[in-house]
Amino acid sequence: MAAVADKFARLAALKPAQPMPARPAAIRTPGEDDTLGRLLGAGIATNHFGEHLAIRNWFSTPEFAEPACTTLELLSRTRDESVSCKTRAELEDPEKWLFLDTETTGLAGGTGTYAFLIGLAWWDAGGLQVEQFFMRDFAEEHSLLQELSRRLKERPVLVTFNGKSFDWPLLENRFTMTRSIAVPKLAAHLDLLHPARALWKLRLGSVRLVELERHVLDAPRLGWQRDNDVSSALIPQFYFDYLRGGPVEPLAAVVRHNQMDLRGLAALFGKINALLSQQTDAAVEIESLDLFGLSRFFQRRGENDRAHSACTQALEIGLPAEFRPRACRALAQMAKRRGEHARAAEIWLEIVADANDGIHACEQLAIYYEHRYKDFYRAAEFAQLALAKLRRQRNSSRDPNFTARCIRLEQKFLHRLARLQHQMKALGGIACSFTLRRRIIGGEPIRTASK
Amino acid sequence: MPESLAVRRAETSTAITRVHEVLDAFAARDHNGDMLTAVRHFPAREAQWANFPAWANADLTAAYAAKGIRRLYTHQAEAIEAVHAGKNVVIVTPTASGKTLCYNLPVLNATLENSDCRALYLFPTKALAQDQLAELHDLNQRLENRFGIFTYDGDTPADARRSIREKGHIILTNPDMLHTGILPHHTRWTRLFENLRYIVLDELHTYRGVFGSHLCNVLRRLRRIARFYGRDPLFICCSATIANPGELASRLLETEVEVLNSNGAPAAEKTFVFYNPPVVNRALGIRRSYINESSRVAQEFLKHDLQTIIFANSRLQTEILLTYLQQANPQLPGKQETIRGYRGGYLPNERREIERGLRDGKIRGVVSTSALELGIDVGSLDTVVMAGYPGTIAATWQRAGRAGRRSGSSCAVLVASSSPLDQFIVRHPDYFFGNTPEHAFIQPDNLEILINHLKCAAFELPISPSDKFGDVDLPDLCARLAAAGFLHLTGENYHWTQEAYPADTISLRSVSSDNFVIIDVTGAPTVIGEVDFPSALVFLHEKAIYIHGGQQHHVEHLDFKERKAYVKRVDVNYYTDAVRYTQVRVLEIAATEQRAGKEASAHLHSHGDVLVRSQVVGFKKIKFFTHENVGDGKLELPENEMHTTAYWITLERPLLESLPFTVSERQSGMFGLLHALESVATLLLMCDRRDLGTAIGERPPATDCECASDVEAAQRAAPLQGTTENFDPSPLEDATSTNVREFFEPNLYLYDAYPGGIGFSEPLFRTHDLLVQKTRELIAACPCEQGCPSCVGPAGDLAPRAKEAALAILDRLCA
Repeated sequence: MAAVADKFARLAALKPAQPMPARPAAIRTPGEDDTLGRLLGAGIATNHFGEHLAIRNWFSTPEFAEPACTTLELLSRTRDESVSCKTRAELEDPEKWLFLDTETTGLAGGTGTYAFLIGLAWWDAGGLQVEQFFMRDFAEEHSLLQELSRRLKERPVLVTFNGKSFDWPLLENRFTMTRSIAVPKLAAHLDLLHPARALWKLRLGSVRLVELERHVLDAPRLGWQRDNDVSSALIPQFYFDYLRGGPVEPLAAVVRHNQMDLRGLAALFGKINALLSQQTDAAVEIESLDLFGLSRFFQRRGENDRAHSACTQALEIGLPAEFRPRACRALAQMAKRRGEHARAAEIWLEIVADANDGIHACEQLAIYYEHRYKDFYRAAEFAQLALAKLRRQRNSSRDPNFTARCIRLEQKFLHRLARLQHQMKALGGIACSFTLRRRIIGGEPIRTASK
Repeated sequence: MPESLAVRRAETSTAITRVHEVLDAFAARDHNGDMLTAVRHFPAREAQWANFPAWANADLTAAYAAKGIRRLYTHQAEAIEAVHAGKNVVIVTPTASGKTLCYNLPVLNATLENSDCRALYLFPTKALAQDQLAELHDLNQRLENRFGIFTYDGDTPADARRSIREKGHIILTNPDMLHTGILPHHTRWTRLFENLRYIVLDELHTYRGVFGSHLCNVLRRLRRIARFYGRDPLFICCSATIANPGELASRLLETEVEVLNSNGAPAAEKTFVFYNPPVVNRALGIRRSYINESSRVAQEFLKHDLQTIIFANSRLQTEILLTYLQQANPQLPGKQETIRGYRGGYLPNERREIERGLRDGKIRGVVSTSALELGIDVGSLDTVVMAGYPGTIAATWQRAGRAGRRSGSSCAVLVASSSPLDQFIVRHPDYFFGNTPEHAFIQPDNLEILINHLKCAAFELPISPSDKFGDVDLPDLCARLAAAGFLHLTGENYHWTQEAYPADTISLRSVSSDNFVIIDVTGAPTVIGEVDFPSALVFLHEKAIYIHGGQQHHVEHLDFKERKAYVKRVDVNYYTDAVRYTQVRVLEIAATEQRAGKEASAHLHSHGDVLVRSQVVGFKKIKFFTHENVGDGKLELPENEMHTTAYWITLERPLLESLPFTVSERQSGMFGLLHALESVATLLLMCDRRDLGTAIGERPPATDCECASDVEAAQRAAPLQGTTENFDPSPLEDATSTNVREFFEPNLYLYDAYPGGIGFSEPLFRTHDLLVQKTRELIAACPCEQGCPSCVGPAGDLAPRAKEAALAILDRLCA
């Protein structure tokens, strides 16, 4: 009846999210799967859950990188007592490693997001063996997951890029949803996103794998090219279109994209391995910014000595002007933690004039003079200098959040100043407290603190 | 009486005598006897006791004993036995009758017997979940903290969520969180779902209308996932007193539910008073402000040292009443404020502090929205003042139940506003006291709602041929979703094929999430509110005066595409009223009934599917206080089309011919009648006035719906099918100047104001006789002369004698 058709036509809930392709329903001719197989260079893999496509390729680059002990320590905390001998042994054995990257039907997570392409890779014959499983429709998911489970039994050390928060939880969901294939147990999971972020975020701004390939791994020199690479954002729709009888060519591009990601991932490990395992004094050809990044990474891992030496070295080689104060600040922080307060104060004095880190330096110096030196006059001067800087920043800003932050900080300094003045009064006289301030602002050289 | 003497007397006399003093004072002032329209006394009732069942775990009964609970009320014992026997139950009890024990005891008992047992508690609001958490924590402490009991909602910190998922024996949450946060991530909740034994639905009566229809679908999804993990949980529901708790529960759960509605809890003596503010202008039907009167009544009680709760129907009124009462009871230096406000938007800590203050008596008066109507424990108060009828009988009893939980005597006063509903209630006390409360209806198979939840369901688990989703035609709907690109059929199962996460865009509290944002651009642009799509066209058209938080705003620009309205603060002496044309076309008649009787009472009533087209075509500027029309404007806004369900009355020619009125009087009478019908319908349906729309249209030439497509007829009838919100009789007069129009047979429509309908039409059809009879009583009993807002609408908007005409039509409908 017309009214019924009308009823459905008007439903907002049935309005297509994107225009539907004007092609007939998905009736695929028997030969067509072969087209896909041929196009992808795939064979049909079978297990007792059914079948799926499997694609195998061997690549000579990146070359095998023997994981160094120090690298493993830093990436997985093997020194931790809680790590069992078995796990440690598996971690140290590159034969047990499996690189993994998936292509999914979305980024939202939850139980309705599928991994339709699972890419795996491992070291083999000096190069990288890549194996990809592709599900031609949802019915093949079980056999896909079964295959992944088998591979993970052989190689239980998982290496991913952002896998800890994306790929692996998603796959865990998929395994749980089968109610028949248990979630595989991993010996360890090394997610390279976090070290990569610590190492290169400063230099590159973005640590997407493509950026890392271009700027850190020097992909063009390796002869790697992402010609006609697909944009990640389009991948889910390519798959949905394919499911409904759309073209298979875009999927071939997705498979290549996944291969490149896996090779990039393995190469990235090689790069991180080299950086972390090198004796820092031998690291002449490392860029100074990467050295600073390395220092940040060491610091996060609690490797204070190595962090310190990397940072010092970075400063010695010379950092771009905008990063120098930040490195100094880190160095001072490390000195403070080691109890070398005088050394720290020396560094803070160097960066007192900086726009961003100057206020921090002033605060630290005020603390230093108040508590270490009991020189309340100097402490008050630095507090006042910080106040002046804050007010200047606040006046030139229109961002209400920033202004609010400035005001909060100002309150803190005013509080400190009040306390200092109270202490000075107790000592009697505040005579000379303002002379030095003028000198600092005037940019004259400052006496370095000395005992 | 000297001040000190009064205080001493207040201290010495009991609450009963003080309540009666106040009531006597009211009665003395009621010279004409039309102010206190009802004073009813309800005697106290003794508690009926039962013992803890033998199967109850000894540790648990000991924990209850330590809290002072050594015996059960009979209804509690009955409820826990039924749950123990494995039945789905709905427990119907008034406020403060110990209903939480009815679910906590069986759930904790089962968890003590088997520590794997899991339970999910659903509350309509976060505040209620917090309140129950406190109660459960108290029991848990007495049981050496053997249970993991957690709330899980939008406020739960991300780092706590993992451990809650693993360790929670009892999870307290709300339907919205279940919908967006738990079901789509059920694989993270395997511990819960694999061991899910009980689901508790508290305040079941709140799940009606749109919200209830959504919840029913969320429960379908929940049960589907539970089945996936091999569980078939039991439901324990609690509801306030409504007419059809069993029907509502079995519709929501789609299974058999045992209704337990005895009550063994004690009750104090109670006096219920209906208070109608005195009339100041009889001709226009204007009464003294009910807000001021409520404040005066409350102040009387407070002066007699009676702890009082005042309920207002909006946040704004809460604040106004609070201001009045705080002025009358100034805070003493060094003392805590004795009058407090309580509503959504107050911080949780502040709320807890107020609740404590009420329990220990330090706070003497509290002004609240419906927030305190639900089961939050604030102890017993002496008196309740309701500023305005809460809208339903059920809610009125709930609010009245706040007084006299354990004390000797209590009093509840309902102060009526001048709205038709309030006036009907206070003038017909027997309707209120003699009737069962309202029915609660849901329509889970509303296609818009259903399909949205099917999307969520498919996201959660592929839909297989063996799946059940109520009794809807799954294959057909899935095929439609597949055709629109949301699902894909592989083998026998439908899988979700979108990147987006469907639950995120579906709100349980309304049908469409297509809202307009209101941006104040007086200074730096700030968002001040949000309005749903249909309201936006009426309130936010260009040049409208939009009132928000008591502040007038002029609408500068309505960005239709981006769904934004830009407004500027102004201070003017007029408001605007949109002129809306509404056309209703009958698509399919589900049922129709002819009243056999005299010719002159010839009419039909029907219900079925309709297409409602409405368009805001202009607006009027109306001056405050005088209500003069000081200007108008034309608007070109898009037409809004909605497919929904409707109930309608068709007045046939013999009936119309028998009316001794001019054409325009008759027309006006119909509009007045519709105004009153709508009021009474909302009363009978337990729904909000916004849930229903009204329109008058010509009956199609034949009753067959196909005829509506007759273009010529439709065009001919077009001027008649229009109805404006505020009726302006002049265009109708033009339209009806010819004889042909004189006896057109009109349909008076009451339609569901939600796409697809929400289930009001069929019940209205069934209660047609009652509806007509009550409407007649409303208009007949109204003391105004020519119509007022309390019956057929303000006199100025209608032709003279409209009230008479409406009554004459009703007389014939009732004949």
